[in-house]
Amino acid sequence: MTEIFLILVGAILVNNFVLTQFLGLCPYMGVSGKVETAVGMSAATLFVLTLASACSYLVFHYLLVPLNLEYLRTISFIVVIAAVVSATELIMQKTSPFLYRILGIFLPLITSNCAVLGVALLNINQSNSFTGSVFYGFGAAVGFSLVLVLFSAMREKLDACDIPEPFQGPAIAMITAGLMSLAFMGFTGMVQ
Amino acid sequence: MTAVFPALLNPVLALLGLGLGIGALLGIVTRRFQLHSDPVVDRINEYLPQTQCGHCGYPGCKPYAIAIANGDAINKCPPGGEATIRKLANLLNVRELPLDASYGIEEKPKVARIREAECIGCALCIPACPVDAILGAPKYMHTVIESECTGCDLCVDPCPVDCIDMIELPHENIVHEQEEHLPCINCGLCIDECPVDILPHSLYFACADNNLELATSLKLEHCIECMKCDSVCPSAIPLVAYYQKAKSDLAIELEERIKAEHAKQRFELHQERQERLQAEEEMRREKRAQLAQEKKKELSSKNIQAALERARSRNNGPAS
Repeated sequence: MTEIFLILVGAILVNNFVLTQFLGLCPYMGVSGKVETAVGMSAATLFVLTLASACSYLVFHYLLVPLNLEYLRTISFIVVIAAVVSATELIMQKTSPFLYRILGIFLPLITSNCAVLGVALLNINQSNSFTGSVFYGFGAAVGFSLVLVLFSAMREKLDACDIPEPFQGPAIAMITAGLMSLAFMGFTGMVQ
Repeated sequence: MTAVFPALLNPVLALLGLGLGIGALLGIVTRRFQLHSDPVVDRINEYLPQTQCGHCGYPGCKPYAIAIANGDAINKCPPGGEATIRKLANLLNVRELPLDASYGIEEKPKVARIREAECIGCALCIPACPVDAILGAPKYMHTVIESECTGCDLCVDPCPVDCIDMIELPHENIVHEQEEHLPCINCGLCIDECPVDILPHSLYFACADNNLELATSLKLEHCIECMKCDSVCPSAIPLVAYYQKAKSDLAIELEERIKAEHAKQRFELHQERQERLQAEEEMRREKRAQLAQEKKKELSSKNIQAALERARSRNNGPAS
């Protein structure tokens, strides 16, 4: 129980994937224009990341290890992640077409979201158990969602602000992201 | 060479198996979650006013809905106006745009009327109507079924004698002139007074903002108009008058929605009939062409036969 709690806190706050490990920056900048979009993206990522970390654990330990093919993990993880994303896309197109439309290109882009592959590979490196890997993926996704929603809320506020012309648009977004990253450095060393 | 082969075989087989398994899984998912009609198009079509007027440059509301789903601008619908654009912008999560004036300007609902004494019975307006609302036969006077007319003005152009007028539809709206009153101070006296447990002051703000959705969610329909809240309001706000106006607006909106649904069905039937007629015409034409071809072939073969005969008789002539 304590172990799972530590994994969650570590993945959400201390080693936040976006702000500390700098993984998954593409959707972080791309889908943070509106809070609703950010929430939709977070939900999709949460689902995909949790499922992908479980699937990649199974593939690694029950397919690659018995065959002595550990060196193929990156390729097979990419295949597994792509399949999970495709399945999510198909299901979402039917069940919530508007979320599908809002996410648009970002849903297929989860495939190339390095956070997803990063979680799968880090799970192997840290030799987590099955529940450990699932919770690590879940925690990483929650951390991603947390900073994505916070960031999009800030960007919505910034839209209404009187920003000097050279800083408008992506420039002020980058500065905000940098400040958020600095703030998250405060968690360093809390959990190993 | 022999040592390399088994080392190569294992990973290839493993990845092949993985790919096959995943492919089968995706195939099953695709089969299970197959789409029959595009739900996005249907939802957009619901928000369009269903006048089928073609101001947007598409033949009707559904074709425009398909175009919007494929990324066309949402500000090409003059009959829907600002209200439709706002709804679509919310639905599609895009920026609200002002109405594009090159497609027309927002007007009050209208209805077509034929000046019957001047109608020459040419029947040109009948196929132009997208909802089949014009009644009449060639060489007889036509008339417009007013309750079916969507006011699209597509029949005005084809009329050779200009006997069709677009008349503004009067809307019976009970508008209560609200007198000047002091602003709401959120004292809450009205809440204690209300016999049906609604929040009169919140409802007042919703009605004053013309936010009918919020007003509905605040149980506007539950108000029995007992005027108790009016009597205790220290700012002397005529609360019930606001509620009455919101209620009548709501009723008008509902009526419009029912009418739009009806027009949509008629448009679809019209479209279907048009297609069927076209297909029949096509078939007839094909048959005629085929017949003509056969006749021609027969004729030409007959000609050849005759020519041969003549040649033969000529050849035989001198010999005999």
